[in-house]
Amino acid sequence: MRAASRPIEEDDLQGWVDGRLTPEQAEAVETYFAAHPEAKERWSQYAAQRAGLRAAFAENAEAPIPARLRVSRLLAERRTRRYRQFARIAAAIALLVAGGIGGWAAHDLLPGLTSSASAVLASSVFDDAIAAHRTFSVETRHPVEVGANEEAHLVQWLSKRLGRPLIIPDLSGLGFQLMGGRLLPADSGPAALFMYEDDKGTRLSCYYLVADIAGGSEFKFHEQNGINAFYWIEDGLAYAITANMPRDRLLKIAEIVYQQNSAGGAKAKLPPAPGKPS
Amino acid sequence: MPDRATLIEAQIPGLRRFACALLRGDQEAADDLVQDTLERALSYWNLRRKQDNPRGWLYTILYNRFLSEQHRVRRRGPHAALTEDTDLPGIEGGQHSALEHRDLLRAFAALPEEQRAVLLLVGVEDASYQEAARVLGVPIGTVMSRLSRGRERLRRSIYGELGQNVRQCNGPLRRVK
Repeated sequence: MRAASRPIEEDDLQGWVDGRLTPEQAEAVETYFAAHPEAKERWSQYAAQRAGLRAAFAENAEAPIPARLRVSRLLAERRTRRYRQFARIAAAIALLVAGGIGGWAAHDLLPGLTSSASAVLASSVFDDAIAAHRTFSVETRHPVEVGANEEAHLVQWLSKRLGRPLIIPDLSGLGFQLMGGRLLPADSGPAALFMYEDDKGTRLSCYYLVADIAGGSEFKFHEQNGINAFYWIEDGLAYAITANMPRDRLLKIAEIVYQQNSAGGAKAKLPPAPGKPS
Repeated sequence: MPDRATLIEAQIPGLRRFACALLRGDQEAADDLVQDTLERALSYWNLRRKQDNPRGWLYTILYNRFLSEQHRVRRRGPHAALTEDTDLPGIEGGQHSALEHRDLLRAFAALPEEQRAVLLLVGVEDASYQEAARVLGVPIGTVMSRLSRGRERLRRSIYGELGQNVRQCNGPLRRVK
């Protein structure tokens, strides 16, 4: 890697502190220290600090793992939560179907529903989401700005731009892998788009827009020249799930996205420390 | 191939240690952070890069959650921020080194956040410089310079005022290796 005669550099010395050197490199550093006792003193202090920190923090790793951090328990909780959400979704879908059959009367029974403002919002979100889907789903080279390989950055960035924590849905169970996402302009502010693809090349987009409307709404369906979309509002975010696929299949995906977002949203809304049981 | 529960569980002790050190010894908050990390890891398990050991990925999630939480705390106002009065770990060890630990931890807690993260990943969690760069989402050169600045700042705050004395009386330098 490096010639034996090369002068010692700072990185070699850091490597010495961290015990990352080959025997030859370590020997070169020792030779250097023999000629520079003041450097040896300083670097030995770094090594002593490092050992001190390790010792001081060691007990945090040795303490028994509390039950709430057991993976088996977290998995069991997830299953229960999913079941409950599924029941909630099923109820919402039943209302949606009833609404379709029974006409608009059913709408008035649902809380926080079709005011004219939210109807306007719905139609503009549909338009924007479908336009974005049309534009970017046909892109082969640049369908997204930030790829799935930088997912942590993607979610941080878009959450910051929309001013609220976003959740990137995991649709792998339905065969859709995240490709990435992008930021988009919309009338009322920035919007986020996450793009997915299945192994047949079908693309699906999840479009999020901040909506200053309290409460939630039911699922709405819209079709435009072969592109289908489901839309709903929950906790101040408008969602649109858009793809060129049959309505039934798209609805299943919309349900999953809804479930995952409700789960995350509920957690994010927990009150700060004072109310928390210790 | 071990299942995801086994792979994740193996990392929990290290994740708790890292979280607790980042949060200056607040074990309760650290466990909240770890729980949040684990829940996310379970949700996004299929999205990780399959060829990688999940260790770096889990630390990355934890660190990102930590940053966004810090961001929220700061926006909520100073009263909610962690103060230096928070109990520091390792004091009740009853060892002869308890006092040294306390001074070291106090000095460490005062370092800028980004330097603490590097010192912990490299020095305590045994991450390679490359791994640390990935977890923190910065180039490796940045890791090296934060390491260098963090270690020097820590040294000055510990040996700083005593520095002269130590040197004059050929101070008791422990080589702990």
